[in-house]
Order: sequence, then C-alpha cells, then structure tokens
Amino acid sequence: MAAPLTFNGIHSSPTAPVDWDRMAARARSMRRSKAVALYAFLIAVSLPIILPYFWLVTIAFSARTGVADTVVLWRSVAVLAPAVIAFWLAAVLARNRRQLWLGLTAIALAATAAFAWLVGPDLHLRNFIFLVEPDFASVVRSRVGAVHGAIQFPSVWRAFGNSLLIAGSQTIVVLTVASLAAYYLSRFQFPARAAMLRSLLILHAFPVLTLIVPMFLMLYWIGLLDTLFGVICVLVAFELPFAIFIMKGFFDAVPWDIEMSALTDGASRRQAFLLVVLPQVRNGLLAVAVFTFIRGWEEYIFVFTFLIRNTNWTMSLYMYYVRDDVMGVDYGVVSAVGVFYLVPSLILYVAAQRYLMQMSIGGVKG
Amino acid sequence: MSAVTDLAVERRYRAASAVRRRTNFVLFLGPAIALTFLFFVIPVLIDIAVSFTDLDRTLRISKFTTEQYQKVFRGDSRLPQVIGLTVVYVFGTLAIFNVTFGLVLALTTTSLNKVSGGFFRGVWLLPRMSPSVLYILLWLWVINPSDVGLLNQFLMPALGLARPLDLMTSAPVALIIIANGFIGASLGMIIFTAAIRGIPEHLFYAAEVDGAGTLAKIRFITLPALRWPISFVTIYQTLSLLVSFEYILLLTKGGPFYDTTVFALYVYRRAFTSGQYGYGAALALFLIVIGAAAALLGWRFFDFKRLLQHPRIEVH
Repeated sequence: MAAPLTFNGIHSSPTAPVDWDRMAARARSMRRSKAVALYAFLIAVSLPIILPYFWLVTIAFSARTGVADTVVLWRSVAVLAPAVIAFWLAAVLARNRRQLWLGLTAIALAATAAFAWLVGPDLHLRNFIFLVEPDFASVVRSRVGAVHGAIQFPSVWRAFGNSLLIAGSQTIVVLTVASLAAYYLSRFQFPARAAMLRSLLILHAFPVLTLIVPMFLMLYWIGLLDTLFGVICVLVAFELPFAIFIMKGFFDAVPWDIEMSALTDGASRRQAFLLVVLPQVRNGLLAVAVFTFIRGWEEYIFVFTFLIRNTNWTMSLYMYYVRDDVMGVDYGVVSAVGVFYLVPSLILYVAAQRYLMQMSIGGVKG
Repeated sequence: MSAVTDLAVERRYRAASAVRRRTNFVLFLGPAIALTFLFFVIPVLIDIAVSFTDLDRTLRISKFTTEQYQKVFRGDSRLPQVIGLTVVYVFGTLAIFNVTFGLVLALTTTSLNKVSGGFFRGVWLLPRMSPSVLYILLWLWVINPSDVGLLNQFLMPALGLARPLDLMTSAPVALIIIANGFIGASLGMIIFTAAIRGIPEHLFYAAEVDGAGTLAKIRFITLPALRWPISFVTIYQTLSLLVSFEYILLLTKGGPFYDTTVFALYVYRRAFTSGQYGYGAALALFLIVIGAAAALLGWRFFDFKRLLQHPRIEVH
C-alpha cells in the first residue's frame, strides 16, 4: 500500500509507511467539525424566527396579566431544548430499531412530565374569550380597570365568515375562469394567440399593488367601495394571470392522445375538456385552489384600503384592530387571536407544500 | 344533384364550424379577457387620466391641469429624500438578504442531510407563510422598547445597556430592511436550492479528486451554475421590493415622520392619508411604468417557444 505520492503534497520517505488510519481519523474529525459548525450556524440564524412564533403560542395559552410575560416561554424552552437534543442523540446513538423506540419513548415521557410540572399549571384557555364574547374588548379592559376603547368589534365569527367568503368565492371564480382560459390557450389555435401569451407573461409579472390608487377610485365611482363583492372582483382579477399561467403549464403536460381518442369516440371539444382533460389536471387545480385561498385569507392591504365598515372586516382587519386596541392591555387575547388566524393558513401551506416551489415564483411578497 | 347537396352540406358544416369557433372563443377566453380588461387596462387608463386632474379629498374633479407633474419634478421637496431611501432600502435588502443570505441558506441546507435541511428551510419559510399582520405583530413584540421585549432581554445584559433599546426610533431603516429580508431570503433559498439540486453530482466528485476544498467547489461549480437563478431572483425581487410596502406600513407606518417612507408607501400616503388622489396617481404612474418595464425584462427567463407550442388538433 505504499504510495509514492500522498495527499497534501507530503512526500513521505519511502521507508516510513503512510499512516492511513491517522489520516482517515483526521478526515473524519474534519468532517464532523464541519457538520457541527453548519448546524450551529443554522440553529443560530433560525432562532430569531422560531422563538417569536413559540412565544406567541405560549402567551396565547398562558398569559394572565397585562404585560407580555417571557417566564413561560423560557420554562418551555428549558424543557423542549434538552428534549430535542436528547431525541437527536438517541437517533444518532441507537444501535437498532428497538433501542431507538425505547429511547424516544423515554425521552418523550420525561419531557411531558417536566412540561406538565413546569408549565402545566400556567396553561389555560381564557385568552380565547373572543371566540364566544363579541364585546371581549370591554371585558379585557375591565380586568385592568381601563374602561374606554375606541373600537367597536364585530363578532370574530363575522370576520371569520367574511374571510372565508372572500377567499372561498375568489378561489371558485379564479379556478373556473383560469382553467377555461388556460385550456383554450394551451389547446386551440386562433389568431393573436402568440400576442395573448405574450401579454399573459407580462401581466403575470406585473406588480398589481401599483394599481391601488386608480382601483380605489374606480370602485368608488361604480359604487362598490366598502363592499365584499368589490374586493372579491379585484382580488380575482389580480390572481388570474398567475393562475392561468400555472394552469397552462399543467394543460401543456397532458398528452394529446387522450384528447384525440376522446374526439374519435365522438366527443366535442367542450366534452373532451370537461370529461377527459380536466380530470387529468387535478393536481394543478388543487394547487391553484389552495394558493388562491391562502392569498385571499391573508390579504391585508386591499381589504384595509377598500373596506371600512366593521361588519365587513376580514380576519386580517380583525387581527389588526385587536392589536391596535387591546395591545397595551392584554397580550394574551392578541396572541390568541393570532393563533386562531395563523393556524388555517399554516395547515393549508403544509398540505400543499409540494407545490410551493413552482407557485411562489410569481408571488409579489418582498 | 348530389354534388350540389354535398356542396351545401359542406357549406353548412363550415358555417357551423365558424360559429362553434367563435362561441368557443367567447366561452373559454371571454371571462378572462373581460376581467383583465376591467381590472388591468381600465385602471391604468384611469390612473393616467386622474394624474392630469386636481382630484383631492372631495373626490370631485374641478379642472384638468398638469400641476401634478410640475409638483413631481419641481415642487415636492420631500421626494429626493424618499427616492434616496427607496434606493437604500431596495438594494440593501436585496444585497444582504434576498440574494446573499438566500444563497447562504441554500448552500448550507443542501449540504446537510435531507431531513435536517428541509427542517431549516421550513423554519425560514414560516415568515412567508404567516399572514402579514401577524408577522409584523411578532416584530412589534420582539423589538418592544421595554425590558419585556425579546430583543431587549438579550441585548440589555449582553451590551450592558442601562435603558432598553428602541429600534423603532433609533434604527428604523435597518428595522424595515431586516423585517422584509427575513421574508425575502426564503424565495432565493427555494430557487437556489432547486438549482443546486440540479447540478450533476459527478462534477463535485471530479473536483474532489482534483483536490478542491469546499470553498473551491462553491466558487468553481455551484456559483457558475447559479448565474441564471441569481439574476432571476435579483430582477424579480427588485421589482417586488420596489412596489410592496405592506410590511413597512404595518411596522412603522412610514415613520417616524417620513424616515421609512419608501416611494410606493409615499404614493399610498399621499393618496389615502393626505387625500391627494391626483398627485398619488401621477406618482403611481412612474411605478406602473417601472413595473411594466421589469415585467418585460422577466421575459428572458421563460422559454417562450415552449409556452407557444402549437396545438395539434384543428377541430373546434
């Protein structure tokens, strides 16, 4: 095994054999320290994101007094951080599957017990009072003695319903109009097809936020300002180019043979579209539906500008005004509203994460 | 006799086909064209028209003038400051977060195993996935200028400060750059990750055999492969940073005073806070032109030939 020329430019004398074991050990430790450095870096940069979200959850389930407490946060971190490290160690050290499961169960039990002992007594659901009490703001204020508040809140279910209505009807309309248009653009030959595809490309990248001033004036002049219908129309139009773009990609991927055999069997183009091609792009429809829904659910700037009456509030406006009104008084309720608002969009995102890659490219978020 | 009927049948068939062609066009493309025309073309026309009027808080047009444009080019003393801030904000966020940090995240997470890398990418997607109002709420709590603020709990002991730090008044521009950057970094991260995954593995092995270290591999293999993704992210994010002001409006409301009012937010504040709709429309026109230009530039990133692939069925 004597190599005349070794790595790193070391010319070993022919008599002394190369110590391969030592070199291997050095390479191993090099690799290990590199991995540790990588993990340390990523954990360090991710903490500023993880901690605030975690804080939000702990406050929502534990805050009692006016101020935002961090005691519960640190206690839960004190339980969870060692638990995560122990999980990781168990996964690395376990020799076989049985040991792994034993270790994980033991750690989970210990962590649950520690959590119940340290944090359990502080947990409660009273911050979710806004779910049952429309006038929760006065209740919250009376707890600390302050009486007056500037804002009259509608019931949270009203805002929830409005958000659902906007996001839901936006989704249905966008899905219908976009799949019709995308199918035609993908499968039919007509004059001006190239020009239309070109303008679709431009529209799909066009920043719609720049149109907010003329859009406001337009809605005012046709009398749709401060109506949910007006907002839905605007949001539908703005989502459309992107949805058509994505759907066209999915239609392009459907093989022609399927359609040809449908036509040979006597179907019309419309029947072929509805009964044969549309089922083939189910994934695309699902992806566009989920993302349009999330966009409608999260929408803030257009609803903030176009909707005024509090019966028209969506969840984002409800959240905004709760923050404005009772922020200094009760962090618990604010974060409970936050959790209530955040959970649906997180669930949808996780469910549709497979499509995130191709969809997020056209997003307008900075 | 039969030739005549054949001709008639064919003519009738042609006519029916033409009718079907037209109804199909209206049926399939009609709604999309109508909506696009109503909500993209007409607003732009309205914007141009309104920018030549004196439309204000009363929402009534009394005369047509060019005074809004005179104001843009001469009268508005605040505009130079706003434009300067916009340049700092856009290129600061882009250079620090959207491109550089996105690249760092993509490089580090792709060199871990799949599960851990996915976990950290998921964490960095969290800000993008949460509604804007909620995301900014968390920022307001973190930078809370009292000793309960999360940041102050770390910084006060670490830097030995006597009084809690108030980033909102002491470093507002840095604050909006960081708050937007946390969201912007994830787009670069996703796109760069996909691009890195697409690099053939054997190139790395070959480089390793040639004695390349980690940095050399990044410098000579990964970065050259990322040239197009990097320019794509740069153009798209420049555009979206230029026109979006949602997070700034929620976080600082453009304040203190006008310290964090970028151009897009300045348009919004002029139109909706001061009620100068005519002036707002004139300012917005510049953004619309820039947006359209950047969208045109975005063409280069799409394979138009593939988009245009010709239909293979002639039946209507």
